[in-house]
Amino acid sequence: MLHKALLLVLAIIQINAAEYDTSILPEAYIDAAQHSTHTNNWAVLVDASRFWFNYRHVANVLSIYRSVKRLGIPDSQIILMIADDMACNARNPRPGQVYNNANQHINVYGDDVEVDYRGYEVTVENFVRLLTGRTQNGTARSKKLLSDAGSNVLIYLTGHGGDGFLKFQDSEEITSQELADGIQQMWEKKRYNELFFMVDTCQAASLYEKFTSPNVLAVASSLVGEDSLSHHVDPSIGVYMIDRYTYYALEFLEKVQPFSKRTIGEFLQVCPKRVCISTVGVRKDLYRRDPQKVPITDFFGAIRPTRVSTDRINVTLADEEDFYTDFDHMPPKKQFKIVIQPQFIAKINK
Amino acid sequence: MIAELALTLLLLLSPLALGQTQIHQFQYQTDEQFHEELVVRPLASDHVNTYFQFTTRWHGVHKNLYHTQLTPRVIAEILQTYDVKELHIGLTQGLWRYETWGYPIVEATGGAELWAWFSSPNLTDDSVNKQWMRLANVFSGILCASLNFVDNTNSIAPKHIFRPQFMASGNRSHQFVRYATLPREIVCTENLTPWKKLLPCGSASGLATLLNSGYIHNTKYHSLGVKVRTLCDSDDPSNCLVELTQTANLVYDLKLLEQSNTDFSLRRLFGMGLNGYCEMASSSKIYVQLNEQGERFQLTPTPLEEVLSTVGGHNVLFGVYDIQQQFEGPGARLFNIAWIGPKGNSKREHTSPPPLYAHRYLLGNGQKHGRIATEVTNTHYEPLPVVLMELVPWYVHAYLHTLRISSKPQHLHEYTSNELKFSLLHYAPGKQRELPTHLEIGFMLPARSSALITIEVDYLLLKWLEYPPDANHGHYIGSAVIGSQLPIGRNYTALPLEGYLFQDSFNASQTAYTLTLRTEALIVSLPTPDFSMPYNVICLACTVVALAFGPIHSVATKLIIVERQTTIPRNLLRKVVHKLTTRFSQAIHQYCCQ
Repeated sequence: MLHKALLLVLAIIQINAAEYDTSILPEAYIDAAQHSTHTNNWAVLVDASRFWFNYRHVANVLSIYRSVKRLGIPDSQIILMIADDMACNARNPRPGQVYNNANQHINVYGDDVEVDYRGYEVTVENFVRLLTGRTQNGTARSKKLLSDAGSNVLIYLTGHGGDGFLKFQDSEEITSQELADGIQQMWEKKRYNELFFMVDTCQAASLYEKFTSPNVLAVASSLVGEDSLSHHVDPSIGVYMIDRYTYYALEFLEKVQPFSKRTIGEFLQVCPKRVCISTVGVRKDLYRRDPQKVPITDFFGAIRPTRVSTDRINVTLADEEDFYTDFDHMPPKKQFKIVIQPQFIAKINK
Repeated sequence: MIAELALTLLLLLSPLALGQTQIHQFQYQTDEQFHEELVVRPLASDHVNTYFQFTTRWHGVHKNLYHTQLTPRVIAEILQTYDVKELHIGLTQGLWRYETWGYPIVEATGGAELWAWFSSPNLTDDSVNKQWMRLANVFSGILCASLNFVDNTNSIAPKHIFRPQFMASGNRSHQFVRYATLPREIVCTENLTPWKKLLPCGSASGLATLLNSGYIHNTKYHSLGVKVRTLCDSDDPSNCLVELTQTANLVYDLKLLEQSNTDFSLRRLFGMGLNGYCEMASSSKIYVQLNEQGERFQLTPTPLEEVLSTVGGHNVLFGVYDIQQQFEGPGARLFNIAWIGPKGNSKREHTSPPPLYAHRYLLGNGQKHGRIATEVTNTHYEPLPVVLMELVPWYVHAYLHTLRISSKPQHLHEYTSNELKFSLLHYAPGKQRELPTHLEIGFMLPARSSALITIEVDYLLLKWLEYPPDANHGHYIGSAVIGSQLPIGRNYTALPLEGYLFQDSFNASQTAYTLTLRTEALIVSLPTPDFSMPYNVICLACTVVALAFGPIHSVATKLIIVERQTTIPRNLLRKVVHKLTTRFSQAIHQYCCQ
């Protein structure tokens, strides 16, 4: 009976995934899905640098935003923080467009982008409040991280960093201890199931050194003592367009489709030393699963494991009045005359 | 029992059946209507103004604002939760040039601007302040703008300029207004995306498909607006209408579009033609202004009809395209309108400026004090009443006793000491870190003259942490709002308040036309400290200490012995000889003295 239901589910998935390459899900995946505690995905993408010469940090964060959105995480579950505006900046010769490449291959800004924290709102305080959930009274819903115990959270930070800190907007810093504390609070408040922490700054590995919370997998674009380098300059805008690590990460992610079989382990190998010049650092000791067996869509996409149930479920029908309005029985609304008060009332003597 | 079951089944199925007919006669049965319009007006010196207006009107049951169909639920709920009766939000980038372009259909100032009217029997000033801040926070999430920076330190309650445009049954004493402006806000695709999501058809079909981010940000003026108002019957308070108007006002400079200066088309402006109309729309129309300074443009395809609108004695000719009719037959196609300007006529007539326009600038030099100057010009042959509202933020201290208005006739260049009498309509002094300065002045501006209103200001030194991260950019003072009433309708294109569609402005002559102009925003350089100073001072101090400590330590702890001054010969041979002789003399001395 279970087998038949499973086959049915597989058949449905097959029909839906007709346009994608993989059509049969491996049994191991279904097995993992039956036992997993992962129910939804969130992403927190932060660009902490301001000013035109930090164009590449905005391009970095928009590249990851684009991938994450393409692979299925909805805007309501992505918190995007961009400290300065590059797309509609007066210096941008192509308004409304941010490219990852001087040949303008991909417009990472695109036509459908929602930035939650922008400009002066990108501060250390707002970032820590976001992670811990202690946002101020009245904060809009789209600016809160409403993750729960089943959420896989992706955190991506980019900007200028040093040994043990990340610089926010050239005026303040967040230290690795504060990051570790924030993530520990998230664990204690059950705000994540698994966390994937990506950093693309100089000496990025120092930012995950102090982590102690379980189920955290971290990758950094450079080790302590090394600088992360940027990829290339676009002569038409005069500044570096994108950083190396994120450029190659985007190249990898562009080839990933929502039903892809690629694993996080493959993603951790992206950008070897010969192209990145800095060494990519990885922290696996806090992560209990083997990264080679974790699908990349566990963090970058929003594929939910489906569980087939044969139990009986009680359903309560809602009240009918909530669902239809009886047009025939409602009295037609009376049209009334619209009279607006006079708009200029100041009595000024001539 | 079976009969009951059959009856419930019938009741359940009937809305489905009703729903079927609903799809075909959508606009007749439901109380919600959606209209989309596009107005294209060529402006002087090769500019084109395209104005999009999406209006949703809901005449319905208001006990429960949650059952919306076309009105976005997020807007409808806010009206109920925060007792808002009227709300205006504008996000603009660019400056509207009144002298060459006339008046816009919807006024907006650079950056973000929002104002709202609250009305409810239990409201007090304090509760309105709290609700206003919460409202701004909610909209910062809806429109992805930093509207959460609006709080009591930069909001005011205008008295004479922003009058209610809503109808509510209620006491005047329970109506409160708040206004705030954030000149530093930018407008980009991140604001356009959620704005489009508020439309019934989103960006999938209809006129909103023309708003492509790559094309509409390459404009000289770009403004997005959301306006909501509630109109209730004075006899029957539960008979209410909710009207949501979303506007996008763009001004293109044809010289930047890299082809000819006088020809353009929808495809060149927006990157694509129209591929349909919004299915939820009751009407979908394009209005094109056909005459401009006595010249007529050639349009392909020709408009369905032409409407001559006479407003206050001035005629404007509009061509109308009905998109629903264009797409009536089957088959997918793209609809494009092309304008061909008159050829061989490079010299355009000199545009005459509108009856009233204004500029604002800063006078004075240095970072200690200056003067804010607003210049209002009346080119009309009659005197006009003018109300000027200024919102000066708390970090700029304005001195009321230095407020002066000087005037000059239009043809002169210099301002004389001729002072105009003005009446101070409202003054709320500012308080550091708490309130902005709110000034409203009214005066009669004589015919064909300009007035210069100046007020002296001091720039304050802020505390270290109050400076923004890019402190050297400067701080903004928002634009002034100038209200007036025009007796003639020249260049006037705003919609009459009793109507809600652009076509309601055709032949809508009134006794007087109310204007609210906006001026430029100002940037002041407050005295900004050098933030790298502490680091530099530490380096310098440590260097000085190290340089001083070394020699002092060595002087204090080492004994200085003066060496006897002997003539020591310079070259090597003599040195050797000298050494031998001194040794010899020392040896003899030792030998002889022992």
